[in-house]
This record gives sequence, C-alpha cells and structure tokens, in this order.
Amino acid sequence: MAKTLELKFLNEEGKVVTVSLNDPVEPADQAAVSAAMDTILAQNAFLSSGGELVSKKEARIVERNVTDIPLA
Amino acid sequence: MATASIKDSQLRIMLNAGTDAEGNPIVKYKTFNNVKTSATADQLYNIVGAIAPLQQHGLGQVERNDSFTITPV
Repeated sequence: MAKTLELKFLNEEGKVVTVSLNDPVEPADQAAVSAAMDTILAQNAFLSSGGELVSKKEARIVERNVTDIPLA
Repeated sequence: MATASIKDSQLRIMLNAGTDAEGNPIVKYKTFNNVKTSATADQLYNIVGAIAPLQQHGLGQVERNDSFTITPV
C-alpha cells in the first residue's frame, strides 16, 4: 500500500501541474501542506510547458493497493 | 571560442529511510525535473524546507544538477 502526497497547481495555461511526494506524513497537516504550496508558488522556481505555476488547485493523498493473483 | 549555455536544471533530494538488514543506510531520492534554469539556490532551499517535513523520511543532501550545451561562438 504505497501512499503519495500530490500537490496540484494551475499553470499559466490553466493546466494542472502536480508535485508529488512519496511516504507522506499522516494524517496530513492541512496548514503545513497549504503553507508549503504557498512557498512553492512564492519561490517560483518550477516551470512547466504551459508556463509558471500560478495558483494552488488541490492537494490529496493517493493510495495504491496491489493484490497479487496467484497463477495456478 | 566555445560557450556553455545552461539547458536543463534538476533538483534532487536525498532522504534517509532508515537502515537495511545489514545496518547500511537506506537512501531514497526524489528528483524534480521541471526546475527553472534561472532558479537560485535560495529558492530551491526554501522549497525543500517547505516540502521535506510533509513526508516521513529525514532530509539528507540537496543537489542541483544543471546540464549545459556547448556551442561554438
């Protein structure tokens, strides 16, 4: 069960750009996540094909479950 | 004369994820490829400082990799 923290931003073209982190701290600290996204926007060091990151869109933790099927 | 112009920049973070069965440290890497070539060390440091606490592992070294194209002037 691998969990990933996804921070989603909008770029100048209005497309979604995702910054992802593995093994997030849980439960997620809302204030820390929001503040981190603000810092990423303020530092303005990332660039996507659609331009700079302009605004926060959403943040989520995505979980991936793998079930192996035994082959007889 | 030849000149080197910066082509790409990458931010790489090393994370300490404990030790393995033999006691060797486990290091995980996270690479960000979409870094502006004009990004300053300060900007990258501030970003790492904001996101490192959001995940479980201790922060190790922070690296920046730049690649250059060399062209004749």
